[in-house]
Amino acid sequence: MSAPSTPLTRRDFLANSAKLGAFVAAAPYIARGADAAAKTDQLNVALIGCGEQGAVLLNAALKIPNIRFKAICDIWPYRRTYGERLLKKFGHDAKPYEDYREVLSSHPELDAVIIATPDFKHSEHTVAALKAGKHVYCEKLMSNTVEGARAMVLAARETKKLLQLGHQRRSNPRYLHARDKIVRDAKLLGRVTNISGQWHRAVTDDFGFPVGQGIAEAKLNQYGFANMHEFRNWRWFKRYAGGPMSDLGAHQIDVYNWMLGANPRLCLASGGVDYYKTHEWYDNAIAVFEYPTQEGIVRATYEVLTTTSAGGGYHEYFMGDLGALKISENPKYTKLYREARAPEWDEFAKKGIIASPLSGEGAPAPVKPWEKQGVKKLAAPSNATVDVRETAALSAWEIPVTLDKAIHQPHLENFFDAVRNGTPLNCPGESAFATAVTILKINESIAAQKALTFAPGDFTA
Amino acid sequence: MSETPASTSPSRCEYSAAFLLLRLFLGLRTFLAGLEKFESKGTYSFANYYANMGRMASGITGASFLPLWATKNFAHSIGYLLLVLGAALLLGLKTRATLVLTGLVYVGLSFGLMAVQESEGVAWLGIHVIMIAGALVLVRHDRFALWPTKHD
Repeated sequence: MSAPSTPLTRRDFLANSAKLGAFVAAAPYIARGADAAAKTDQLNVALIGCGEQGAVLLNAALKIPNIRFKAICDIWPYRRTYGERLLKKFGHDAKPYEDYREVLSSHPELDAVIIATPDFKHSEHTVAALKAGKHVYCEKLMSNTVEGARAMVLAARETKKLLQLGHQRRSNPRYLHARDKIVRDAKLLGRVTNISGQWHRAVTDDFGFPVGQGIAEAKLNQYGFANMHEFRNWRWFKRYAGGPMSDLGAHQIDVYNWMLGANPRLCLASGGVDYYKTHEWYDNAIAVFEYPTQEGIVRATYEVLTTTSAGGGYHEYFMGDLGALKISENPKYTKLYREARAPEWDEFAKKGIIASPLSGEGAPAPVKPWEKQGVKKLAAPSNATVDVRETAALSAWEIPVTLDKAIHQPHLENFFDAVRNGTPLNCPGESAFATAVTILKINESIAAQKALTFAPGDFTA
Repeated sequence: MSETPASTSPSRCEYSAAFLLLRLFLGLRTFLAGLEKFESKGTYSFANYYANMGRMASGITGASFLPLWATKNFAHSIGYLLLVLGAALLLGLKTRATLVLTGLVYVGLSFGLMAVQESEGVAWLGIHVIMIAGALVLVRHDRFALWPTKHD
């Protein structure tokens, strides 16, 4: 049943028309105001370096709301075009540049710059961007020299701009949960006495480039590269980078420092060019560290092997007198272990800090589709003890936190949140400087063939 | 003078004891196998029974050639059958016929597991079938039965 209609008087009509007219007249301003409110949250960004890692960061950043790419820069037209096309596909009208200086001078509207160039260019590019008034997210390793890394920290300090380094594990929610809840709050590892870590990778071919897409040698020389082979494989050459310890080990040894809240006091390393004929940097290297912590010395080993993927992939393994944490960016290598002598962990499982494994190591025997669920099965017989000195087996647990985004995304989000809201950076320049000092000492120790010590002052820029 | 050797064959009493042990074991095993089908997370109910049996039927059908109507009908009756047959064995109600029926139920269960190539389960049930076959050999020595079988 419809409501009875009331007759519209001339006065009502005029009053309503006036209100409607006022709204129509004001509409563009209301709309502009709303647009402005949305735009205040928008950050204008440029990417300098659109190689393999630049593309990874680009893809991760494109998933973050209110980020507008205004410029993209790479000396290689082939990659620059790739980045430009990718950005266009996602609705970003980014101008392409060969020289980073043009990016900085032509785009005063930029809030931040993401730098993913080879390590030897990090310092130059970062310092220039900071001095141009931009906040900087720069890939690790901070620099291939301590001086370069120090210049970056000093520039950030001088310009009061933000500098985040790409040690992205520090923003990974699983790593944060492990450090803050499991290791520090619940102290499930007890006293951490040892760390081991590794990245084992199978033999890979050198990078090539599509026919007709090479860069002229004169241009390569202009930007500091000797030739196209070194340009494509810069990670393996000493003038551009720090080798596998810097490329792979930097992420993991950064986690050693970050998890312990300490820097090492000694480094002893061994390595060499054992396999590849076309590289300068060590293909296999092993390092030993001593960390002084409040609870005592922590001894750590780390090995990067680029000639075999055997031996369990890549992880960091923190071992204490009550438990151990094996953690990796890849969840399949992540596990938590309780020593048989440690108190039970069930209360921590009830609180959601840890979880019983549902599959794999430590998980109950799988139930077949036709079997009743929840039936207690006899545990499989454990391997017989062959030596009386063996201790009881550890029980396996899981970390109930997973990352459902691209692995670099939370770290970029942390950076953009810091730019917008002043959120503390998860890997500021000062902290990454300590990691760079640690990593660069490994190569130094290998070359010197002896143990090298750190002075506490070494870690301060 | 020749000596008569002492008899080594078991007495009727020993046969009866052996059969009683078998009957009690099989009765308990069968009854409890039926009862556990009504259990889930420590509680017993008809809802649990149909949930458990539904999962079993669809699991077997999903991994074998057996149609769902067949596995479902079998699954929905198996729990009640095991309870009745188990109780009958424990109480001694027409034990020979009960043993035959129990054996057939275990053969039926084995058939389902053979269809999904669950060799361990088949071997496990095979032991039950062998014990029932042995019980049938000894059933004439049945004692302490509420409703005894008529012997030849």
